[in-house]
Amino acid sequence: MVTEELIVNMGPQHPSTHGVLYLELKLDGEIIVECRPNIGYLHRSIEKIAENRTLVQFVPFTDRLDYLASMNDNLGFCLAAEKLLQIEAPARAQYLRVIVAELNRIASHLLAISTFAQDLGAYATPLFFAMRDRQKVVQIFDELCGQRLTYNYIRIGGVAGDMTPEIARMIGEFVLYFRKMVNDYDELLTHNIIFKVRSKGIGIISKEFALDYAVTGPSLRASGFKWDVRKDEPYLVYDKFDFDVPVGANGDAWDRYYVRIQEMRESLRIIEQAMGAIPEGDPVAKVNKVFRPSGEVYMRTESPRGDLGFYIVGTGETFPYRLKIRAPSFSNIAALAPLIKGLNVSDAVCALGSLDIVMGEIDR
Amino acid sequence: MFKIPLDFFQGVLSILKGFVVTGRSMFRKPVTIEYPLKKAVMTERFRGMADLRPEKCISCMQCVRICPTAALDLVSVMNPETKKKVLQSFCFNAELCCFCGLCQEVCPTKAIFLNAVYEVAYYKRSDVTSIDLMKPDKYAHVGELASGKGKK
Repeated sequence: MVTEELIVNMGPQHPSTHGVLYLELKLDGEIIVECRPNIGYLHRSIEKIAENRTLVQFVPFTDRLDYLASMNDNLGFCLAAEKLLQIEAPARAQYLRVIVAELNRIASHLLAISTFAQDLGAYATPLFFAMRDRQKVVQIFDELCGQRLTYNYIRIGGVAGDMTPEIARMIGEFVLYFRKMVNDYDELLTHNIIFKVRSKGIGIISKEFALDYAVTGPSLRASGFKWDVRKDEPYLVYDKFDFDVPVGANGDAWDRYYVRIQEMRESLRIIEQAMGAIPEGDPVAKVNKVFRPSGEVYMRTESPRGDLGFYIVGTGETFPYRLKIRAPSFSNIAALAPLIKGLNVSDAVCALGSLDIVMGEIDR
Repeated sequence: MFKIPLDFFQGVLSILKGFVVTGRSMFRKPVTIEYPLKKAVMTERFRGMADLRPEKCISCMQCVRICPTAALDLVSVMNPETKKKVLQSFCFNAELCCFCGLCQEVCPTKAIFLNAVYEVAYYKRSDVTSIDLMKPDKYAHVGELASGKGKK
């Protein structure tokens, strides 16, 4: 009998590729011999657009990078711009930023774990549960900044609007509500034997492999390497809060999933502490300023997907000379090809889902 | 003899546990809205379509300058007697707009604002690309939403 290798195109329109990712798979039966990820289907040249916009005008574009965690992208860019312009946001704005960033981390992780479960065949139920809980976060953001997806809330030198007592009540309610609800995911997924059999031992990222490929975020921490920018290079007021950095043991798909579940619990702790310690004052930034940045700066923050960096070069003009975005998903997707070599096609879907990539950030 | 593996029982138990969790949500209030029949009330800060109070506009051009996507087009002429700018036309290109809300933040007189209109489908492309903000009934087709009642 003659066997030959078969090339299968997975994507760009595939339900489990989380966007327009195109994987060119070379198969030997069911086993993947070679994988070539092709990216660029969502390229909007955001880095080039930044060279023709002032710093204030560019903030709405950062919403479109990682569209599941816009707050964190806003935050990363505004912190970089503030570092370049040597501005410091008011204390209340700093606390508000921490609160919204952590709320967005919860919303993003909820979507990550539920789509991951959906990829493994836990059809619809976990996704609907996650959407129901995410809706509460999105409602808070809707009240706070007026949009449900592209928030454009964090500004250079502050935030767009103050937190009203009504919003503070909503956040307090959400923390109490979600602390109970996160246990549902444990019952439904974490300790489900079928889920465990599907995801344990699949797509193992070792510590060395993760460091070689610059994998960051929950995917790195799942391999046992304790690295969190919030803890190791604190920005904003993160050094005032008491929280743990959860790490995994084996670095497989299940560990990456479970690190996210634990991170949501830690985020709740941060939000609770920040809500308790938030100072009074006016956090609203004045936006109608034309900045003339000069010099260069690199600022890294911890987005839900990993280490998000903004590199801005200014030459004294109103537009920055160059803006480079170090997107965590881009580095994480680079690790996919060696990761799924030798796996079944169905397990490749599992490994891809557990990396939690967002194409908007990869292609920029 | 045929032996059923232990995993089988654990699997059944896991599924039953899942049923319990799913069953619990049967007694919770639904969070969905039957959209075309019932319309959600937008929040106070909701950013919908751009709208203008023409009598308040002083043609300072700040909104046009800050717009990241150049979606606003303002034409004004100087009145030689009073030395004040008079607004001639104000066109809004909804196709370019990214609903960031920077225009309403920089407006010194609160003339331009984003209203509660979120149903933004049109029959003709030209309807979207040049919406005349001077006309009072530009969003009449969406009914109540346009009159400012859509917000809390």
